[in-house]
Amino acid sequence: MAATAPAAPAESELDRSGAEDEPRGTEPEEDGGNGQAGPTAGAQQQHRLAKLPLSRIKALMKADPDVSLASQESVFIIAKATELFVEMIAKDALVYAQQGKRKTLQRKDLDNAIEAIDEFAFLEGTLD
Amino acid sequence: MAERPEDLNLPNAVITRIIKEALPDGVNVSKEARRAISQAASIFVLYATSCANNFALKAKRKTLNAGDVMSAVEEMEFERFLQPLREALEAYKKGQKGKKEATEQKRKDKEKKITDENDKSRDEEEDEQEGENEEEEDDVEN
Repeated sequence: MAATAPAAPAESELDRSGAEDEPRGTEPEEDGGNGQAGPTAGAQQQHRLAKLPLSRIKALMKADPDVSLASQESVFIIAKATELFVEMIAKDALVYAQQGKRKTLQRKDLDNAIEAIDEFAFLEGTLD
Repeated sequence: MAERPEDLNLPNAVITRIIKEALPDGVNVSKEARRAISQAASIFVLYATSCANNFALKAKRKTLNAGDVMSAVEEMEFERFLQPLREALEAYKKGQKGKKEATEQKRKDKEKKITDENDKSRDEEEDEQEGENEEEEDDVEN
């Protein structure tokens, strides 16, 4: 074990979040469901706010060895930001498909968007 | 656990749904494009996490918090996300508060039940103990 606080293998670290939040959280596994489903128990309604499963987001965050602990809120915000990111990149890629008079988004449209748009510069050279 | 970042990806069904809902009807998405978007999303998570973590470390905190993520999003030049994220966070916090209170209430109810039961059995024990004490006193005197 490294001397500095590592991202410990114990599940509990990210589960137990920091100062802010109740450590318990039932995470939806796959599909969190959409926001409009009928009245359900409070806990389920809660997770409808994020479409991406918080458990999977958390697992990704834990992959970073420099990350020790993350609050539940931070996991949620990253999940939400990722959702917005997906929406944005899909829409931006669509512009290129439309330029090519296509109704199907293709890989090259993504590549074009990544090259053209500053915010996507971090993706250059990273996709298979 | 040895999960490499490359192995972790987000559920296809959810990614597909997010894409579909963002695009107009009649637009299709090729499998390759979907896969690339999913991969990009994972990389986004890693990048945002790393960035947010830097803010936490700068503030000498070991726990990454929502504010760190907001700072990261801004630094990554996704300012357009900030307002919707703030709103989503508010809704999330409200929901968490509700959950917390429900859990608190459950815990209180449970404790009350246990306390009641303890009181009952304590009364019974005291009756027994009185009998025992009398016997001990006799011994000491001897």
